[in-house]
Amino acid sequence: MTRTRIAAILVAFALLALVPLVVTDSYVRHLFIIAFIYAVVASNWDLSLGYTGLFNFGHLTFFGVGVYTAAILAETVELSPWAAILCGGITAALAALLISAPVARLKGIYVVLVTFAFSQLAMQVVLSQSDITGGAEGIVRIPYLQVGDYRFIRDYNLAYYYTAFAMLCVSTVFLLAVVASPFGKSLRALRDNPDYAASRGISVARQRIMSLVLSAVFTGIAGGFYAIYLRVASPEVFGFGTLSLALSMVLIGGVGTIIGPVLAALFLTFLTEAMAGIRGLEDARFIVVALAMILVLRLAPGGSIEMLSRLRLGAGFRSRRETTDTAGNRS
Amino acid sequence: MSNPILEVDRASRTFGGLKAVQEVSFSVEEGEIFGVAGPNGSGKSTLFNLITGIPFPPTSGSIVFGGTRIDGKSPHAIARSGLARTFQKDAEFPDLSARETMLIGASYAGGMSGRQAGHAADDALELVSFPEDRRDVESGHLSVYEKKQLMIGSALVSNPRILMLDEPASGLTRPEIAALDKLLLDVNRTGVTILLIEHVLSLLLSVSERLLVLNQGQILASGDPQEVIRDPKVIEAYLGGRK
Ligand SMILES: Nc1ncnc2c1ncn2[C@@H]1O[C@H](COP(=O)(O)OP(=O)(O)O)[C@@H](O)[C@H]1O
Ligand SMILES: [Mg+2]
Repeated sequence: MTRTRIAAILVAFALLALVPLVVTDSYVRHLFIIAFIYAVVASNWDLSLGYTGLFNFGHLTFFGVGVYTAAILAETVELSPWAAILCGGITAALAALLISAPVARLKGIYVVLVTFAFSQLAMQVVLSQSDITGGAEGIVRIPYLQVGDYRFIRDYNLAYYYTAFAMLCVSTVFLLAVVASPFGKSLRALRDNPDYAASRGISVARQRIMSLVLSAVFTGIAGGFYAIYLRVASPEVFGFGTLSLALSMVLIGGVGTIIGPVLAALFLTFLTEAMAGIRGLEDARFIVVALAMILVLRLAPGGSIEMLSRLRLGAGFRSRRETTDTAGNRS
Repeated sequence: MSNPILEVDRASRTFGGLKAVQEVSFSVEEGEIFGVAGPNGSGKSTLFNLITGIPFPPTSGSIVFGGTRIDGKSPHAIARSGLARTFQKDAEFPDLSARETMLIGASYAGGMSGRQAGHAADDALELVSFPEDRRDVESGHLSVYEKKQLMIGSALVSNPRILMLDEPASGLTRPEIAALDKLLLDVNRTGVTILLIEHVLSLLLSVSERLLVLNQGQILASGDPQEVIRDPKVIEAYLGGRK
């Protein structure tokens, strides 16, 4: 990453930290909070999808596992909501470990099938175990966050805003550190040329498992926070709507960039919300997002970061390239 | 003086009905440069693939490296045990710079960390004469020759016991081949055993102490390089292959 790039990121985050001073409306703050949650989900997805090149379509399952972990622990077990949120990160990582066992050795389309089946399975478990999960109704009236006597629902979501923002900051720093480390480089190496990577001592299976588990931690925490913040857990989080919205954030933002999906999450959350206010677009807005995704992929396959670099703002990030088969004449 | 570092025993590999490598047995002495020749499609690259497990082990037969059986071990474990290879096809990690590629080799295959890996990376870049001002350029933007230098360097950076090169001279100019010749001898002098597949006969004959010739997946001849290339069967196979 170039210096100007780092400076731009720092300025953007500093501005986000100042937003609540200007924006006092609790609904707009709510939109920011939702955008921060999506930003965590999309940027962590970028680790497995963009950096490791794993077509993981079960990423939202990690989010859902976080949602239900926090909801059950806070509502049923009456654990502190703070601890419940963090536990969401742990169970999501465990879920990632579970799914990574079959995925570690599979190729391309099979990864899509297995991870997608896994997310459907998770949804079926949630629907069928209604004693614990509330079934289709979900879990409601989950305890809210508080510190001492201060309840987070006061002051027009101010404390929730900063909690979500802090979560995004920690997650982003974590992801940037991971991708800059030798481990992160090994992920890009095996994504672009698995045979060459193996010949240089990289275990393809182990790195895939690690990247899935690492990508699940903050995704699960974001899920936990989502449940505690909205005070509900419903099976919708496993649905296709959330999946496709998060995917469009990763793709429009730019795979293999971390920051791109964060930007796209902010942008798309407000865009879909704005469209919800336009009559006739309430239901069509996700179609609009999908069309935007296709358009971006046609015009600038690298996503927003590539578009920025064409404007000479985004040098330092690149899009991913095709995988090559080196050892065999054929694959 | 028999001190084999690599023993291949009746290694075979079939692809459907095609016997790409059939019951090939040979052993390589510690410290020697061992040449492998044969017409196109004779199974040379497949033989390398079987030995390194990339992307597959042999269908049958055994491979012993430094006294331990390695066939069936995972490719990264074989690489870490001191067996480094290059590929016939150009290969690079397009997103990583030359220095980052070297660091990958040093830290994963070589098991080094931090500063040690950094030094090894710089030394390997130096060894293959990789241009100083190109070390931080992404590999996707390197020239074909630079990519070749990098692939050989990233094999050497982990201090392997055996270096296996698959047609390193293809597409090189005369001066580049001369530099490669010198590099191989220099590396070999530090105690590294070399297995060399090569179509450029002048290079192969100049460095190899022993030569193995494959034809249609089987050993056609092996032994002293000068004798092997005068073998009528070998001449026939090469001329036959040129039709
Ligand atoms: N992965 C593979 N799948 C099917 N056939 C293969 C594969 N790899 C090599 N072959 C076949 O095996 C034979 C030997 O190939 P190869 O080892 O590349 O020869 P060489 O390196 O001596 O030119 C060829 O007929 C080739 O087409
Ligand atoms: Mg070959």
